[in-house]
Amino acid sequence: MNDITMRDSMDLMEAGAVFDVDVAAVKTEADGVVSLELKSSYGQSLPGWTPGAHIDVILPNALVRQYSLCGDPQNPEAWRIGVLREPASRGGSSCIHEDVRVGDRLQVTTPRNNFALVDAERYLFIAGGIGITPILPMIRQAAEGGKPWTLLYGGRTRNSMAFLDEISTCRGGEVHVMPQDEFGLLDLPRFLGAPRTDTAVYCCGPGPLIDAVEENCRTWRAGALHRERFAPSVKPRLETGAFEVELARSGQRLTVPPHTSLLSVLENAGHKITNSCRAGICGTCLVKVLAGTPQHNDDVLSDADRESGAVMLVCVSRSESELLVLDL
Amino acid sequence: MVDVRNVRGGDGLVGISDEVDEILDSVVESTRQATEAFFETYDKNPDPRVLAAWLEPRAWREIDYVFLLNEQIRRYGMGFSRTHITLLAKQSFQEAEHYEAVGKAIESLGGTVPVSVPEEARPWSEFLWDCLERHPLAAIAAWNVSETSASGSFEPTFRAGERHQFDEVVRVYRQIEIDEKFHVGLGRQILSSYARTDHDREEILRAMRGMRDIAWKTFTPESVAQRRRA
Repeated sequence: MNDITMRDSMDLMEAGAVFDVDVAAVKTEADGVVSLELKSSYGQSLPGWTPGAHIDVILPNALVRQYSLCGDPQNPEAWRIGVLREPASRGGSSCIHEDVRVGDRLQVTTPRNNFALVDAERYLFIAGGIGITPILPMIRQAAEGGKPWTLLYGGRTRNSMAFLDEISTCRGGEVHVMPQDEFGLLDLPRFLGAPRTDTAVYCCGPGPLIDAVEENCRTWRAGALHRERFAPSVKPRLETGAFEVELARSGQRLTVPPHTSLLSVLENAGHKITNSCRAGICGTCLVKVLAGTPQHNDDVLSDADRESGAVMLVCVSRSESELLVLDL
Repeated sequence: MVDVRNVRGGDGLVGISDEVDEILDSVVESTRQATEAFFETYDKNPDPRVLAAWLEPRAWREIDYVFLLNEQIRRYGMGFSRTHITLLAKQSFQEAEHYEAVGKAIESLGGTVPVSVPEEARPWSEFLWDCLERHPLAAIAAWNVSETSASGSFEPTFRAGERHQFDEVVRVYRQIEIDEKFHVGLGRQILSSYARTDHDREEILRAMRGMRDIAWKTFTPESVAQRRRA
Protein backbone atom coordinates (compact mmCIF):
# COMPACT_ATOMS: atom_id res chain seq x y z
CA MET A 1 0.00 0.00 0.00
CA ASN A 2 1.61 3.27 -1.03
CA ASP A 3 1.75 6.39 1.06
CA ILE A 4 -1.14 8.05 -0.76
CA THR A 5 -3.39 5.07 -0.15
CA MET A 6 -2.33 4.94 3.50
CA ARG A 7 -3.00 8.65 3.86
CA ASP A 8 -6.36 8.19 2.21
CA SER A 9 -7.21 5.44 4.65
CA MET A 10 -6.19 7.58 7.64
CA ASP A 11 -8.14 10.47 6.15
CA LEU A 12 -11.17 8.22 5.99
CA MET A 13 -11.16 7.86 9.76
CA GLU A 14 -14.08 9.62 11.35
CA ALA A 15 -13.46 12.90 13.11
CA GLY A 16 -12.65 12.12 16.70
CA ALA A 17 -11.49 8.56 15.97
CA VAL A 18 -8.72 7.43 18.31
CA PHE A 19 -5.38 6.03 17.16
CA ASP A 20 -1.77 5.61 18.32
CA VAL A 21 1.13 7.97 17.77
CA ASP A 22 4.70 7.91 19.00
CA VAL A 23 6.52 10.90 20.44
CA ALA A 24 9.32 11.51 17.95
CA ALA A 25 10.76 14.63 19.57
CA VAL A 26 10.35 16.81 22.64
CA LYS A 27 11.76 20.32 22.37
CA THR A 28 11.81 23.24 24.75
CA GLU A 29 10.41 26.17 22.79
CA ALA A 30 10.36 28.78 25.57
CA ASP A 31 10.23 29.05 29.33
CA GLY A 32 7.48 26.65 30.35
CA VAL A 33 6.67 25.61 26.79
CA VAL A 34 7.59 22.34 25.15
CA SER A 35 6.63 21.04 21.76
CA LEU A 36 5.98 17.41 20.95
CA GLU A 37 6.51 15.98 17.51
CA LEU A 38 4.10 13.10 16.95
CA LYS A 39 4.32 10.41 14.29
CA SER A 40 2.13 7.48 13.43
CA SER A 41 3.02 4.40 15.49
CA TYR A 42 2.66 2.22 12.40
CA GLY A 43 4.53 4.24 9.81
CA GLN A 44 1.39 5.61 8.21
CA SER A 45 0.82 9.15 7.08
CA LEU A 46 -1.24 11.11 9.55
CA PRO A 47 -4.72 12.47 8.79
CA GLY A 48 -4.83 15.79 7.03
CA TRP A 49 -5.66 18.99 8.86
CA THR A 50 -6.05 22.71 8.26
CA PRO A 51 -4.84 25.66 10.31
CA GLY A 52 -6.86 26.08 13.48
CA ALA A 53 -7.35 22.35 13.99
CA HIS A 54 -6.86 20.65 17.33
CA ILE A 55 -6.55 17.09 18.55
CA ASP A 56 -7.41 15.33 21.78
CA VAL A 57 -4.42 13.76 23.46
CA ILE A 58 -5.06 10.92 25.90
CA LEU A 59 -2.23 11.18 28.35
CA PRO A 60 -0.53 8.29 30.16
CA ASN A 61 -2.49 9.22 33.28
CA ALA A 62 -5.76 8.81 31.33
CA LEU A 63 -6.50 12.56 31.31
CA VAL A 64 -7.59 13.96 27.99
CA ARG A 65 -6.46 17.41 26.86
CA GLN A 66 -6.95 19.35 23.63
CA TYR A 67 -3.99 20.87 21.81
CA SER A 68 -3.82 22.90 18.62
CA LEU A 69 -1.72 21.57 15.79
CA CYS A 70 1.09 24.04 15.13
CA GLY A 71 3.25 22.24 12.59
CA ASP A 72 3.04 22.13 8.83
CA PRO A 73 -0.30 20.92 7.39
CA GLN A 74 1.59 19.93 4.23
CA ASN A 75 3.67 17.41 6.18
CA PRO A 76 1.71 14.16 6.53
CA GLU A 77 4.49 12.42 8.43
CA ALA A 78 4.41 14.40 11.66
CA TRP A 79 2.27 16.61 13.80
CA ARG A 80 3.45 19.16 16.31
CA ILE A 81 1.71 20.47 19.40
CA GLY A 82 2.90 23.09 21.86
CA VAL A 83 2.18 22.68 25.56
CA LEU A 84 2.39 25.38 28.20
CA ARG A 85 2.98 24.19 31.72
CA GLU A 86 0.01 25.50 33.69
CA PRO A 87 0.85 26.65 37.21
CA ALA A 88 -2.37 25.07 38.49
CA SER A 89 -2.09 21.94 36.36
CA ARG A 90 -4.29 19.08 37.51
CA GLY A 91 -2.13 16.55 35.79
CA GLY A 92 -2.46 17.46 32.10
CA SER A 93 0.36 19.83 31.21
CA SER A 94 2.46 18.67 34.16
CA CYS A 95 2.23 15.09 32.85
CA ILE A 96 3.52 16.18 29.47
CA HIS A 97 6.33 18.26 30.90
CA GLU A 98 7.42 15.72 33.49
CA ASP A 99 6.57 12.31 32.17
CA VAL A 100 6.34 12.23 28.40
CA ARG A 101 9.53 11.16 26.67
CA VAL A 102 10.71 10.48 23.14
CA GLY A 103 9.50 7.04 22.15
CA ASP A 104 6.41 7.13 24.34
CA ARG A 105 3.17 6.07 22.73
CA LEU A 106 0.11 8.26 23.12
CA GLN A 107 -3.42 7.96 21.89
CA VAL A 108 -4.78 10.91 19.96
CA THR A 109 -7.90 11.68 18.01
CA THR A 110 -8.20 12.71 14.41
CA PRO A 111 -8.20 16.50 14.09
CA ARG A 112 -11.26 18.67 14.52
CA ASN A 113 -11.37 22.30 13.51
CA ASN A 114 -13.64 24.84 15.17
CA PHE A 115 -11.27 27.72 14.34
CA ALA A 116 -10.72 27.45 10.61
CA LEU A 117 -8.98 30.17 8.58
CA VAL A 118 -11.49 31.82 6.29
CA ASP A 119 -10.53 33.38 3.02
CA ALA A 120 -9.92 37.11 3.38
CA GLU A 121 -7.96 39.86 1.69
CA ARG A 122 -5.95 40.63 4.83
CA TYR A 123 -5.42 39.09 8.24
CA LEU A 124 -4.81 40.47 11.69
CA PHE A 125 -3.59 37.75 14.06
CA ILE A 126 -3.58 38.43 17.81
CA ALA A 127 -1.96 35.78 20.00
CA GLY A 128 -1.49 35.70 23.74
CA GLY A 129 1.05 33.28 25.16
CA ILE A 130 0.47 29.69 24.07
CA GLY A 131 -2.38 30.98 21.91
CA ILE A 132 0.29 31.31 19.21
CA THR A 133 -0.07 27.59 18.48
CA PRO A 134 -3.16 27.66 16.20
CA ILE A 135 -2.10 31.05 14.82
CA LEU A 136 1.33 29.92 13.58
CA PRO A 137 0.07 27.68 10.73
CA MET A 138 -2.46 30.37 9.84
CA ILE A 139 0.37 32.87 9.39
CA ARG A 140 2.20 30.46 7.10
CA GLN A 141 -0.90 29.86 5.02
CA ALA A 142 -1.54 33.59 4.67
CA ALA A 143 2.10 34.16 3.74
CA GLU A 144 2.10 31.33 1.19
CA GLY A 145 -1.09 32.71 -0.29
CA GLY A 146 0.46 36.13 -0.67
CA LYS A 147 -2.08 37.72 1.66
CA PRO A 148 -0.95 40.68 3.77
CA TRP A 149 -0.95 39.82 7.46
CA THR A 150 -0.12 41.34 10.80
CA LEU A 151 0.72 39.52 13.99
CA LEU A 152 0.33 41.07 17.39
CA TYR A 153 1.93 38.63 19.84
CA GLY A 154 1.92 39.16 23.58
CA GLY A 155 3.31 37.18 26.49
CA ARG A 156 4.67 37.62 30.00
CA THR A 157 8.31 37.88 28.92
CA ARG A 158 10.17 37.43 25.67
CA ASN A 159 11.69 34.21 27.01
CA SER A 160 8.23 32.80 27.67
CA MET A 161 7.04 33.35 24.11
CA ALA A 162 7.44 30.32 21.84
CA PHE A 163 8.28 30.06 18.13
CA LEU A 164 9.75 33.55 17.78
CA ASP A 165 12.47 32.32 15.41
CA GLU A 166 9.96 30.58 13.18
CA ILE A 167 7.71 33.59 13.08
CA SER A 168 10.62 35.76 11.99
CA THR A 169 10.99 33.61 8.83
CA CYS A 170 7.37 34.14 7.73
CA ARG A 171 7.25 36.60 4.86
CA GLY A 172 4.78 39.18 3.74
CA GLY A 173 3.63 40.43 7.11
CA GLU A 174 4.24 42.71 10.06
CA VAL A 175 5.23 41.11 13.32
CA HIS A 176 4.80 42.93 16.62
CA VAL A 177 6.28 40.93 19.49
CA MET A 178 5.23 42.77 22.61
CA PRO A 179 6.08 41.02 25.88
CA GLN A 180 4.27 42.50 28.82
CA ASP A 181 7.39 43.18 30.88
CA GLU A 182 8.64 45.45 28.08
CA PHE A 183 5.47 46.98 26.67
CA GLY A 184 2.72 46.44 29.18
CA LEU A 185 -0.65 45.19 27.98
CA LEU A 186 -1.15 44.92 24.22
CA ASP A 187 -2.18 48.20 22.63
CA LEU A 188 -5.34 46.84 21.07
CA PRO A 189 -6.91 50.18 20.10
CA ARG A 190 -3.86 50.86 17.94
CA PHE A 191 -4.56 47.73 15.84
CA LEU A 192 -8.34 47.47 16.14
CA GLY A 193 -9.37 51.10 16.49
CA ALA A 194 -10.05 51.56 12.77
CA PRO A 195 -12.30 48.76 11.48
CA ARG A 196 -11.44 47.36 8.07
CA THR A 197 -13.93 45.53 5.91
CA ASP A 198 -11.20 43.57 4.11
CA THR A 199 -9.61 42.09 7.24
CA ALA A 200 -10.32 38.91 9.19
CA VAL A 201 -9.21 39.11 12.80
CA TYR A 202 -8.04 35.92 14.51
CA CYS A 203 -7.40 35.86 18.24
CA CYS A 204 -6.29 33.07 20.54
CA GLY A 205 -5.13 33.28 24.11
CA PRO A 206 -6.30 33.74 27.67
CA GLY A 207 -9.83 34.81 28.43
CA PRO A 208 -9.03 38.42 29.41
CA LEU A 209 -7.22 38.96 26.11
CA ILE A 210 -10.15 37.65 24.12
CA ASP A 211 -12.58 39.72 26.17
CA ALA A 212 -10.52 42.81 25.42
CA VAL A 213 -10.29 42.00 21.70
CA GLU A 214 -14.05 41.45 21.55
CA GLU A 215 -14.57 44.82 23.19
CA ASN A 216 -12.27 46.52 20.69
CA CYS A 217 -13.96 44.77 17.75
CA ARG A 218 -17.43 46.03 18.58
CA THR A 219 -17.43 48.41 15.68
CA TRP A 220 -16.06 45.88 13.19
CA ARG A 221 -18.40 44.10 10.77
CA ALA A 222 -20.20 41.03 12.04
CA GLY A 223 -18.12 37.92 11.52
CA ALA A 224 -14.80 39.73 11.23
CA LEU A 225 -13.52 38.38 14.54
CA HIS A 226 -12.70 34.70 15.05
CA ARG A 227 -11.49 33.58 18.44
CA GLU A 228 -10.54 30.49 20.36
CA ARG A 229 -10.27 30.67 24.09
CA PHE A 230 -7.46 28.83 25.82
CA ALA A 231 -9.08 28.66 29.21
CA PRO A 232 -6.78 27.72 32.03
CA SER A 233 -7.13 24.07 32.87
CA VAL A 234 -8.63 24.83 36.25
CA LYS A 235 -12.11 23.56 35.60
CA PRO A 236 -14.77 23.30 38.25
CA ARG A 237 -13.85 20.25 40.27
CA LEU A 238 -16.06 17.23 39.86
CA GLU A 239 -17.93 16.24 42.99
CA THR A 240 -16.70 13.10 44.71
CA GLY A 241 -17.84 10.01 42.86
CA ALA A 242 -18.53 11.82 39.61
CA PHE A 243 -16.56 11.33 36.40
CA GLU A 244 -16.60 12.52 32.82
CA VAL A 245 -17.33 10.48 29.76
CA GLU A 246 -16.36 11.45 26.23
CA LEU A 247 -18.13 9.94 23.26
CA ALA A 248 -15.37 9.48 20.71
CA ARG A 249 -17.49 9.64 17.56
CA SER A 250 -18.99 13.04 18.33
CA GLY A 251 -16.58 14.47 20.87
CA GLN A 252 -19.51 15.09 23.22
CA ARG A 253 -18.56 15.21 26.87
CA LEU A 254 -20.94 14.36 29.66
CA THR A 255 -20.62 14.38 33.42
CA VAL A 256 -21.82 11.33 35.31
CA PRO A 257 -22.92 12.39 38.81
CA PRO A 258 -22.26 10.09 41.73
CA HIS A 259 -25.73 8.57 42.08
CA THR A 260 -26.69 8.35 38.44
CA SER A 261 -25.76 5.47 36.20
CA LEU A 262 -23.68 6.04 33.09
CA LEU A 263 -26.49 4.41 31.13
CA SER A 264 -29.01 6.95 32.42
CA VAL A 265 -26.69 9.85 31.60
CA LEU A 266 -26.23 8.55 28.06
CA GLU A 267 -29.97 8.04 27.60
CA ASN A 268 -30.79 11.49 28.98
CA ALA A 269 -28.36 12.94 26.45
CA GLY A 270 -30.33 11.28 23.68
CA HIS A 271 -28.22 8.19 23.05
CA LYS A 272 -30.06 4.92 22.68
CA ILE A 273 -28.16 2.06 24.29
CA THR A 274 -29.78 -1.36 23.97
CA ASN A 275 -30.28 -2.76 27.44
CA SER A 276 -32.51 -5.08 29.43
CA CYS A 277 -31.70 -5.84 33.06
CA ARG A 278 -29.99 -2.56 33.96
CA ALA A 279 -28.37 -4.58 36.72
CA GLY A 280 -25.15 -5.92 35.24
CA ILE A 281 -26.42 -9.42 34.58
CA CYS A 282 -27.40 -9.71 30.93
CA GLY A 283 -24.46 -8.04 29.16
CA THR A 284 -26.68 -6.29 26.63
CA CYS A 285 -25.40 -2.76 27.24
CA LEU A 286 -21.78 -3.69 26.49
CA VAL A 287 -19.76 -0.74 25.19
CA LYS A 288 -16.15 -0.47 23.97
CA VAL A 289 -13.81 1.63 26.07
CA LEU A 290 -11.15 3.54 24.15
CA ALA A 291 -9.41 5.24 27.06
CA GLY A 292 -9.67 5.48 30.81
CA THR A 293 -10.09 2.77 33.42
CA PRO A 294 -13.58 1.34 33.94
CA GLN A 295 -14.75 0.37 37.38
CA HIS A 296 -16.56 -2.89 36.77
CA ASN A 297 -19.62 -3.37 38.97
CA ASP A 298 -21.37 -6.01 36.86
CA ASP A 299 -21.79 -9.70 37.54
CA VAL A 300 -21.15 -11.16 34.13
CA LEU A 301 -18.03 -9.95 32.32
CA SER A 302 -15.21 -12.46 32.36
CA ASP A 303 -12.07 -11.73 34.36
CA ALA A 304 -10.16 -11.34 31.10
CA ASP A 305 -12.62 -8.75 29.78
CA ARG A 306 -12.49 -6.85 33.04
CA GLU A 307 -8.72 -6.78 33.14
CA SER A 308 -8.45 -5.67 29.53
CA GLY A 309 -10.46 -2.56 30.30
CA ALA A 310 -11.58 -2.62 26.68
CA VAL A 311 -15.29 -3.07 27.36
CA MET A 312 -17.76 -2.23 30.09
CA LEU A 313 -21.42 -2.54 30.96
CA VAL A 314 -22.72 0.98 31.30
CA CYS A 315 -25.81 0.10 33.33
CA VAL A 316 -23.88 -0.45 36.54
CA SER A 317 -20.19 0.17 35.93
CA ARG A 318 -18.42 3.45 36.49
CA SER A 319 -14.89 4.81 36.16
CA GLU A 320 -11.68 4.62 38.16
CA SER A 321 -10.21 7.43 36.07
CA GLU A 322 -11.40 11.01 35.80
CA LEU A 323 -12.44 10.42 32.23
CA LEU A 324 -13.65 7.52 30.14
CA VAL A 325 -13.62 7.66 26.35
CA LEU A 326 -16.26 5.39 24.85
CA ASP A 327 -16.73 4.15 21.30
CA LEU A 328 -20.09 5.83 20.92
CA MET B 1 -18.58 -12.17 24.24
CA VAL B 2 -20.82 -12.18 27.31
CA ASP B 3 -21.98 -15.62 28.50
CA VAL B 4 -24.71 -15.23 31.08
CA ARG B 5 -24.10 -18.79 32.27
CA ASN B 6 -20.93 -17.40 33.85
CA VAL B 7 -22.81 -14.83 35.88
CA ARG B 8 -21.34 -14.36 39.32
CA GLY B 9 -23.43 -15.52 42.27
CA GLY B 10 -22.39 -18.19 44.73
CA ASP B 11 -21.15 -21.76 44.76
CA GLY B 12 -24.57 -23.35 45.04
CA LEU B 13 -24.23 -25.23 41.77
CA VAL B 14 -20.74 -26.56 42.42
CA GLY B 15 -20.80 -30.26 41.71
CA ILE B 16 -23.79 -30.12 39.38
CA SER B 17 -22.90 -27.31 37.02
CA ASP B 18 -21.64 -29.67 34.33
CA GLU B 19 -24.94 -31.53 34.25
CA VAL B 20 -26.84 -28.24 34.38
CA ASP B 21 -24.94 -27.05 31.30
CA GLU B 22 -25.53 -30.35 29.52
CA ILE B 23 -29.27 -30.04 30.15
CA LEU B 24 -29.29 -26.50 28.86
CA ASP B 25 -27.27 -27.35 25.74
CA SER B 26 -29.50 -30.33 25.07
CA VAL B 27 -32.75 -28.39 25.33
CA VAL B 28 -31.45 -25.61 23.08
CA GLU B 29 -30.61 -28.17 20.42
CA SER B 30 -33.96 -29.97 20.76
CA THR B 31 -35.81 -26.71 20.39
CA ARG B 32 -33.73 -25.67 17.44
CA GLN B 33 -34.50 -28.93 15.67
CA ALA B 34 -38.20 -28.68 16.49
CA THR B 35 -38.32 -25.13 15.18
CA GLU B 36 -36.48 -26.05 12.00
CA ALA B 37 -38.94 -28.91 11.50
CA PHE B 38 -41.87 -26.59 12.00
CA PHE B 39 -40.63 -24.11 9.42
CA GLU B 40 -39.81 -26.84 6.92
CA THR B 41 -43.50 -27.74 7.06
CA TYR B 42 -44.53 -24.10 7.09
CA ASP B 43 -42.46 -23.39 3.97
CA LYS B 44 -44.67 -25.80 2.03
CA ASN B 45 -47.87 -24.02 3.07
CA PRO B 46 -47.12 -20.62 4.62
CA ASP B 47 -50.53 -19.99 6.17
CA PRO B 48 -50.37 -17.13 8.72
CA ARG B 49 -52.98 -18.87 10.84
CA VAL B 50 -50.63 -21.84 11.19
CA LEU B 51 -47.90 -19.50 12.39
CA ALA B 52 -50.38 -17.94 14.81
CA ALA B 53 -51.29 -21.36 16.16
CA TRP B 54 -47.59 -22.13 16.63
CA LEU B 55 -47.18 -18.96 18.65
CA GLU B 56 -50.23 -19.37 20.87
CA PRO B 57 -48.65 -21.70 23.47
CA ARG B 58 -45.64 -19.38 23.52
CA ALA B 59 -47.93 -16.48 24.35
CA TRP B 60 -49.42 -18.51 27.17
CA ARG B 61 -45.95 -19.15 28.58
CA GLU B 62 -45.36 -15.42 28.85
CA ILE B 63 -48.42 -14.71 30.96
CA ASP B 64 -47.92 -17.88 32.97
CA TYR B 65 -44.42 -16.62 33.79
CA VAL B 66 -46.02 -13.45 35.14
CA PHE B 67 -48.24 -15.51 37.47
CA LEU B 68 -45.38 -17.80 38.46
CA LEU B 69 -42.89 -15.04 39.14
CA ASN B 70 -45.26 -13.08 41.30
CA GLU B 71 -46.21 -16.19 43.25
CA GLN B 72 -42.51 -17.01 43.58
CA ILE B 73 -41.91 -13.57 45.06
CA ARG B 74 -44.93 -13.84 47.33
CA ARG B 75 -44.05 -17.25 48.70
CA TYR B 76 -40.30 -17.23 48.78
CA GLY B 77 -39.18 -13.65 48.17
CA MET B 78 -38.25 -12.89 51.78
CA GLY B 79 -35.56 -15.57 51.47
CA PHE B 80 -33.89 -13.56 48.70
CA SER B 81 -32.06 -10.26 48.72
CA ARG B 82 -34.04 -7.12 47.98
CA THR B 83 -32.07 -6.79 44.75
CA HIS B 84 -33.21 -10.21 43.63
CA ILE B 85 -36.81 -9.43 44.54
CA THR B 86 -36.56 -6.32 42.35
CA LEU B 87 -34.99 -8.26 39.50
CA LEU B 88 -37.62 -11.03 39.64
CA ALA B 89 -40.29 -8.32 39.54
CA LYS B 90 -38.52 -6.73 36.60
CA GLN B 91 -38.51 -10.06 34.81
CA SER B 92 -42.22 -10.38 35.52
CA PHE B 93 -42.84 -6.97 33.99
CA GLN B 94 -40.92 -7.95 30.87
CA GLU B 95 -42.86 -11.20 30.58
CA ALA B 96 -46.05 -9.17 30.67
CA GLU B 97 -44.68 -7.02 27.89
CA HIS B 98 -43.88 -10.18 25.94
CA TYR B 99 -47.43 -11.49 26.41
CA GLU B 100 -48.76 -8.21 25.06
CA ALA B 101 -46.37 -8.12 22.12
CA VAL B 102 -46.72 -11.78 21.12
CA GLY B 103 -50.47 -11.37 21.51
CA LYS B 104 -50.51 -8.50 19.03
CA ALA B 105 -48.41 -10.54 16.62
CA ILE B 106 -50.82 -13.48 16.89
CA GLU B 107 -53.83 -11.27 16.25
CA SER B 108 -52.10 -9.71 13.24
CA LEU B 109 -51.78 -13.24 11.83
CA GLY B 110 -55.46 -13.99 12.37
CA GLY B 111 -55.01 -16.04 15.52
CA THR B 112 -56.46 -15.88 19.01
CA VAL B 113 -54.48 -14.90 22.10
CA PRO B 114 -54.93 -17.54 24.79
CA VAL B 115 -56.50 -16.43 28.07
CA SER B 116 -56.36 -19.87 29.64
CA VAL B 117 -53.74 -22.58 29.33
CA PRO B 118 -53.83 -24.17 25.86
CA GLU B 119 -53.92 -27.94 25.89
CA GLU B 120 -50.49 -28.35 24.33
CA ALA B 121 -49.00 -26.04 26.98
CA ARG B 122 -50.63 -27.88 29.89
CA PRO B 123 -47.74 -30.29 30.63
CA TRP B 124 -45.36 -27.34 30.69
CA SER B 125 -47.56 -25.24 32.95
CA GLU B 126 -48.47 -28.02 35.36
CA PHE B 127 -44.85 -29.03 35.74
CA LEU B 128 -43.82 -25.48 36.62
CA TRP B 129 -46.58 -25.01 39.19
CA ASP B 130 -45.72 -28.36 40.70
CA CYS B 131 -42.09 -27.23 40.98
CA LEU B 132 -43.22 -24.05 42.70
CA GLU B 133 -45.06 -26.13 45.29
CA ARG B 134 -42.10 -28.41 45.93
CA HIS B 135 -39.15 -26.16 46.64
CA PRO B 136 -38.19 -22.44 46.58
CA LEU B 137 -35.68 -22.93 43.80
CA ALA B 138 -37.37 -25.61 41.72
CA ALA B 139 -39.59 -23.39 39.59
CA ILE B 140 -36.70 -21.03 38.95
CA ALA B 141 -34.60 -23.99 37.81
CA ALA B 142 -37.38 -25.26 35.58
CA TRP B 143 -38.06 -21.96 33.89
CA ASN B 144 -34.33 -21.41 33.51
CA VAL B 145 -34.39 -24.46 31.23
CA SER B 146 -37.56 -23.32 29.50
CA GLU B 147 -36.22 -19.83 28.81
CA THR B 148 -32.90 -21.22 27.64
CA SER B 149 -34.73 -23.55 25.29
CA ALA B 150 -36.40 -20.59 23.60
CA SER B 151 -32.99 -19.37 22.47
CA GLY B 152 -32.82 -22.41 20.18
CA SER B 153 -35.85 -21.14 18.32
CA PHE B 154 -34.68 -17.60 17.59
CA GLU B 155 -32.33 -18.00 14.65
CA PRO B 156 -34.58 -20.44 12.72
CA THR B 157 -37.48 -18.05 13.32
CA PHE B 158 -35.52 -15.04 12.10
CA ARG B 159 -34.42 -16.87 8.96
CA ALA B 160 -37.99 -17.96 8.26
CA GLY B 161 -39.08 -14.40 8.88
CA GLU B 162 -36.81 -13.25 6.06
CA ARG B 163 -38.25 -15.86 3.73
CA HIS B 164 -41.87 -15.13 4.56
CA GLN B 165 -41.70 -11.48 5.67
CA PHE B 166 -43.44 -11.91 9.02
CA ASP B 167 -41.57 -8.84 10.19
CA GLU B 168 -43.67 -8.16 13.26
CA VAL B 169 -43.01 -11.64 14.69
CA VAL B 170 -39.30 -11.17 14.05
CA ARG B 171 -39.31 -7.75 15.70
CA VAL B 172 -41.06 -9.12 18.79
CA TYR B 173 -38.71 -12.05 19.13
CA ARG B 174 -35.60 -9.91 18.64
CA GLN B 175 -36.69 -8.01 21.74
CA ILE B 176 -37.51 -11.23 23.57
CA GLU B 177 -34.06 -12.54 22.64
CA ILE B 178 -32.48 -9.55 24.40
CA ASP B 179 -34.62 -9.93 27.51
CA GLU B 180 -34.08 -13.69 27.73
CA LYS B 181 -30.40 -13.14 28.38
CA PHE B 182 -31.36 -11.21 31.48
CA HIS B 183 -33.87 -13.84 32.59
CA VAL B 184 -31.47 -16.73 32.05
CA GLY B 185 -28.64 -14.90 33.80
CA LEU B 186 -30.85 -13.96 36.72
CA GLY B 187 -32.08 -17.51 37.15
CA ARG B 188 -28.55 -18.85 37.14
CA GLN B 189 -27.44 -16.25 39.67
CA ILE B 190 -30.34 -17.03 42.01
CA LEU B 191 -29.71 -20.77 41.83
CA SER B 192 -26.00 -20.41 42.51
CA SER B 193 -26.60 -17.87 45.27
CA TYR B 194 -29.24 -19.69 47.28
CA ALA B 195 -28.69 -23.41 46.74
CA ARG B 196 -27.02 -24.57 49.93
CA THR B 197 -27.66 -28.27 50.48
CA ASP B 198 -27.56 -31.46 48.48
CA HIS B 199 -31.36 -31.53 48.72
CA ASP B 200 -31.49 -28.10 47.09
CA ARG B 201 -29.30 -29.34 44.27
CA GLU B 202 -31.34 -32.51 43.84
CA GLU B 203 -34.53 -30.47 43.47
CA ILE B 204 -32.82 -28.17 40.99
CA LEU B 205 -31.72 -31.11 38.85
CA ARG B 206 -35.11 -32.77 39.10
CA ALA B 207 -36.77 -29.59 37.87
CA MET B 208 -34.27 -29.10 35.07
CA ARG B 209 -34.37 -32.67 33.86
CA GLY B 210 -38.15 -32.61 33.86
CA MET B 211 -38.37 -29.37 31.90
CA ARG B 212 -35.75 -30.57 29.42
CA ASP B 213 -38.20 -33.25 28.31
CA ILE B 214 -41.13 -30.85 28.00
CA ALA B 215 -39.87 -27.45 26.87
CA TRP B 216 -39.18 -28.17 23.21
CA LYS B 217 -42.38 -30.05 22.41
CA THR B 218 -44.64 -27.12 21.67
CA PHE B 219 -42.23 -25.96 18.95
CA THR B 220 -42.87 -28.99 16.73
CA PRO B 221 -45.11 -29.07 13.66
CA GLU B 222 -47.01 -31.97 15.21
CA SER B 223 -47.94 -29.85 18.20
CA VAL B 224 -49.41 -27.20 15.94
CA ALA B 225 -51.25 -29.76 13.87
CA GLN B 226 -52.75 -31.22 17.02
CA ARG B 227 -53.87 -27.78 18.14
CA ARG B 228 -55.53 -27.01 14.84
CA ARG B 229 -57.42 -30.30 14.81
CA ALA B 230 -58.75 -29.60 18.32
